[in-house]
Amino acid sequence: MKKFKNKLARVLFFILISSLLLTNGCLPTPQDTKGGRTITLYGFSIMKEALEKEIYPAFAAKWKAEHSEDLSFNSSFAGSEVVTNQILQGAPADVAILSIERDVDRLVEGKAVTNDWRSLPNKGIVNKTPFVILVRKGNPKAITDFPDLAKPGIKLIHPDPVSSGGAQWSILSIYGSELKKSESQTGTPDKTRALQTLQAIWKNVIATPGSAREARTQFETGFGDALITYELEGLLMKQANSPVEIVYPKSTIFSEHPAVVIDRNLNEVKRASVEAFVKFLWSEEAQKAFVKYHFRSATNEALNEANKEFGKIEEPFTVEYFGGWNRAYPEIIEQVFRDQVMKK
Amino acid sequence: MSANLSGIRHTQGFDIIKPLSIGAMILIMLPLVLLPLASIFIFGTNKGLASFWAALTAPDAVYALKLSIVTSFWATIFNVFFGLLAAYVLTKYDFWGRNALTVTISLPTAIPTAVAGFALLLLWGPFGILGQYLSPEAQIMFTPYAIILANIFVTFPLAFGVIKPVFDTMNRSLEEASATIGATRWQTFWHITLPALRGAILSGALLTFARSVGEFGSTILVSGNLAGRTQTAPLYIFAKFNEGQVEAANAIAIVLAIFSFLIFSILFFARDWLDAE
Repeated sequence: MKKFKNKLARVLFFILISSLLLTNGCLPTPQDTKGGRTITLYGFSIMKEALEKEIYPAFAAKWKAEHSEDLSFNSSFAGSEVVTNQILQGAPADVAILSIERDVDRLVEGKAVTNDWRSLPNKGIVNKTPFVILVRKGNPKAITDFPDLAKPGIKLIHPDPVSSGGAQWSILSIYGSELKKSESQTGTPDKTRALQTLQAIWKNVIATPGSAREARTQFETGFGDALITYELEGLLMKQANSPVEIVYPKSTIFSEHPAVVIDRNLNEVKRASVEAFVKFLWSEEAQKAFVKYHFRSATNEALNEANKEFGKIEEPFTVEYFGGWNRAYPEIIEQVFRDQVMKK
Repeated sequence: MSANLSGIRHTQGFDIIKPLSIGAMILIMLPLVLLPLASIFIFGTNKGLASFWAALTAPDAVYALKLSIVTSFWATIFNVFFGLLAAYVLTKYDFWGRNALTVTISLPTAIPTAVAGFALLLLWGPFGILGQYLSPEAQIMFTPYAIILANIFVTFPLAFGVIKPVFDTMNRSLEEASATIGATRWQTFWHITLPALRGAILSGALLTFARSVGEFGSTILVSGNLAGRTQTAPLYIFAKFNEGQVEAANAIAIVLAIFSFLIFSILFFARDWLDAE
């Protein structure tokens, strides 16, 4: 019996080792090296669907028609700040689509981007979407605007502003919404009211996931009463029959998302296709594709008519309301949120 | 008298403690280990086997599994050889700094895996201490080789940890006998030492492999996480979960769970077989 066991063990061992050697000798061939060019894109979390389902195939077909050369994409998606840090650490991105301009500025500072990215169409902004509140079906907590999120007992999921661009948009959205409303009521923006609302809402935050997409997954798995996020996340969830409702605040921000070429990782041969791709993002074809996946076109309002799901916002604003990201980041994300909300 | 104590029956007739303690053990394991595992299986297959299969055979999923297995394989090969060498050197020879070396080898177990990844980036990244001298084509980080390096780092002490104690307690008289009848060191090692270590080498290898396949924290930092290129199975699971595609994440999770179950079964049974000789 002992002999038999030994033999069996040896046979098993032999089979195990030889099969491992046979199957694992070499690394699998990456799927994108099946010939032709590749473009590597790093994007913030919610860009995935529109790019993979519409924009990539459309551009690949266009490139093939014009240059009779195969072109494929590979991509990685995470929170905007995470993506930016990866690229700064040397990740091989050719193009990045980020949630906030501040991250592009960081790439410029880190010398990953040396081109004048603002000279791209529409100052480098490819698309936009308003910030909304997602609630459970039937809106059981009766949430109609940002201040309702400050009510005691509301459990709010909010992405982490350290890693997520969407989280920073959300903070600007709450703060700016209160300024805007007080301005139209009394004529002057009430900074105290805006700060107090933000502080009270932040007390109800029960989780800060790393990206807008992670926050959505947490909310979808049944966690929390409400989630502040991009409108398109809500529309995608409704499309997938998730039991959620979108609440449009009276006044909210339109987030605007820049695309940028990562010069550091490009050689002359690659640059041609990468720059053509980035230009393509502003073409009518690409803008229509964004609208189909619930982004709003940044260049042509008429295209947005095509998507009947888009909600109406009474008093919209953009980051320009704060004087652009150059001022919004230090003055609101740092001086208001970090110093007066987080530390309280 | 005292030698027979263990044989004395403490109870008359039916031993009630036996079913109670087994039951308690399973009851404790249920919410902590068994049910979480079960829910992966339930969620992974609740949309039917067809969609489970589709999730499993998605090109990116297959690629991720392959990449995980291959990178873990090479990390295992390396660490077993190194573990063997280190165990041999550290038991055989006494030298200044020996204890310091032993402690250093074990260090990677205590370091958070994210730190391991970060450390590799700081060394080999395009702007790292050594990486800055590599040409753009020769960069290691953000390629599968970076994943192998990360796997080697985090599983560094595992094989060594299994092999070393066996070395320590090994019966030296055989080796001495072998030497007296004129065997070279190599012959002694090949015919005497190595066979005694077979079981330890196998367990060390499987442990290293299992740990590598599941590695996440360091991989996500050094690999670049590109689907179909540098995305390993755990990264794929994380990405799919974050995208809200829980079924796709579960399908791969199930494969990994079955995989580790097999590995530990082999570990459990094969070691007895190999050591029984």
